[in-house]
Amino acid sequence: MVNKRVPDWLNSSLWSSPGPQPSVQSPSPTPATLNDDDDATNRSTRSATKSSTATVNSVKAGGSASGGEFPVERTGPMPSAPAVIRAENRHVPTRAKAETRDPLSSSSNYHSDEENGSSAGSTTSASAAAAISSAEDISRQAQLCQELSRKIINMGEVRRLASQGIPDGAGIRATVWKLLLGYLPTEKALWPTELAKKRSQYKHFKEELLMNPSEITRKLEKSVILDDEGTVIADKGELPRSEITQGEHPLSLGKNSIWNQFFQDTEIIEQIDRDVKRTHPDLHFFSGDTPFAKSNQDSLRNILIVFAKLNPGIRYVQGMNEILAPLFYVFRNDPNEENAASAEADTFFCFVELLSGFRDHFCQQLDNSVVGIRSTITKLSQFLKEHDEELWRHLEMTTKVNPQFYAFRWITLLLTQEFNFPDSLLIWDTLLSDPEGPLETLLRVCCAMLIIVRRRLLAGDFTSNLKLLQNYPSTNISHLLYVANKLRAKLG
Amino acid sequence: MDSSDDDSEEYLFKIVIIGDSAVGKSNLLSRYARDEFNLHSKATIGVEFQTQVVEINGKEVKAQIWDTAGQERFRAVTSAYYRGAFGALLVYDISRRSTFESVTRWLDELHTHCDTTVAKMLIGNKCDLDNIRDVSTEEGAKLAEDEGLFFMETSALDSTNVNKAFEIVIREIYSNVSRKVLNSDSYKAELSINRVSLVKEDGDGSRRSWSSCCSR
Repeated sequence: MVNKRVPDWLNSSLWSSPGPQPSVQSPSPTPATLNDDDDATNRSTRSATKSSTATVNSVKAGGSASGGEFPVERTGPMPSAPAVIRAENRHVPTRAKAETRDPLSSSSNYHSDEENGSSAGSTTSASAAAAISSAEDISRQAQLCQELSRKIINMGEVRRLASQGIPDGAGIRATVWKLLLGYLPTEKALWPTELAKKRSQYKHFKEELLMNPSEITRKLEKSVILDDEGTVIADKGELPRSEITQGEHPLSLGKNSIWNQFFQDTEIIEQIDRDVKRTHPDLHFFSGDTPFAKSNQDSLRNILIVFAKLNPGIRYVQGMNEILAPLFYVFRNDPNEENAASAEADTFFCFVELLSGFRDHFCQQLDNSVVGIRSTITKLSQFLKEHDEELWRHLEMTTKVNPQFYAFRWITLLLTQEFNFPDSLLIWDTLLSDPEGPLETLLRVCCAMLIIVRRRLLAGDFTSNLKLLQNYPSTNISHLLYVANKLRAKLG
Repeated sequence: MDSSDDDSEEYLFKIVIIGDSAVGKSNLLSRYARDEFNLHSKATIGVEFQTQVVEINGKEVKAQIWDTAGQERFRAVTSAYYRGAFGALLVYDISRRSTFESVTRWLDELHTHCDTTVAKMLIGNKCDLDNIRDVSTEEGAKLAEDEGLFFMETSALDSTNVNKAFEIVIREIYSNVSRKVLNSDSYKAELSINRVSLVKEDGDGSRRSWSSCCSR
């Protein structure tokens, strides 16, 4: 009876070749050296595995580039290799490859072993499929570029194309995301004025909110006349001011003096600083001592502080940095230099927009409400029950894995910590493309993640299941999104 | 309950690691469980989980160690993680006084969610940072004494005392369990209920009786 709940399509032959599967059968072909510059956590071990399969695949697919360049071969949608990563590639070649070269090669061994037994071994068909997939990518990229060139953007079409993953060879992901998040209006003629308006607004926010009273006081005491241009020290987030306008910004409306407020803020800012430093420590874009990484960290910091001050009910919650990072990364790598230079401002507004759909997950007061994180996790659990009752029963009844133990992070971080970075971007293409908003899609993807490893889960106990779900195996993202999309059709 | 049954008994102890954000909880665990340290590890969101098997008096003991998120905001959702814990490591950073001052709040948290027989150890982590020390060893020891906690300064970075700290907690749990309740029939039942209730939402009733059983 329970078995009847398992949807027939789960066993369909479609699963055998959802896309090119680098049907590697041995548990791990990873050369030990790939791992040596990384923390050898489970997660990094997985990324090392990815990098090795990546290499294998790029050779098989006959991808064009060599050396430090990035092949344009490959399966399914693929994020571009932005200039920045290319630069990193020179420093840490193996790692950079792991991150960027072949984000989709990662269909896991586990995965092929258990769900795709029949696909095992057919490397040639896999590379053939890669070529087809690659052709589809190029075609979709061309279609997207064409849509973006219209005077009035047809959002339905952009959503449809983007939901399959944005092939970012042409560096269009930044523009598409801004459209999907409603930051850019559909009428293209309005873009310049709209962008100018927002960017100036953000500059104003920074001037109002990023002041440091101690610095102001110290400077006033020394009778230093402050420069009001705000550009010189702007990258430190401490804008010089010629006057203190206490009454203007939201947080000075309370009874607190500017100094009390400042001390409260300090705690938050220290927390932000600690987490910004810990954001994608494996990516040179975010981490390290290069001026570039430092300036990117400063941007993340500024955005989070401005957000925290404008939203005193939420302030800063750990994990916001992880949601911010993909947006900033994509916008900062926009090939359009003007856009890249304004990435911080653009990211801020898109972050606000994105978070507006998920804000309640970050709000402790709402944890137990119908809109809070617990309620969302319950939705996921019910969703799983509707689609795969056997799996649901085994997970939650038999092995007693409370979905909170894994789904809390999946959901609050929008899956940014479960996959490697380029894979997360692909998942976000789909999340952001959904006209109903990202939450329903997110739940479908989470549910698909469970279903994809269902055989291992059904064979597992509490410990092995929780470990599996907290260290989700690398997966072919096209396949994952395909399964997730199937779930949409199923419930109707 | 006679001791002959114990040979086949499998021990499973749940231990939680708590303390402010960025005091080194995750690195203590990775150092202990995998002998790894990562200077730039990501913030823990929600909870992470490791198991480690140790041998005590010839018996195999499985420690199930839960590493929790430090930020205040997560406390409402972390309560489930405390359920059924037999031991706790309360961690602060010896180079950041505020994290030491939070220890009493974490103790309250622990007392709210767990019974009093939890084996607790106060840990002053990052003792390799002696040059920028903000909390003296004596202060740590004093607080531990006042609150009835074990105390140890550790460094997940250079491994100082990490294994020792976990071992002491695990041994203490083991001796709590053996000394206090091993002879009672009800204990067996309680222990198995506790095992199950590691992930059970409604384990409160059983915990209360377990608690009264131990407080004799």
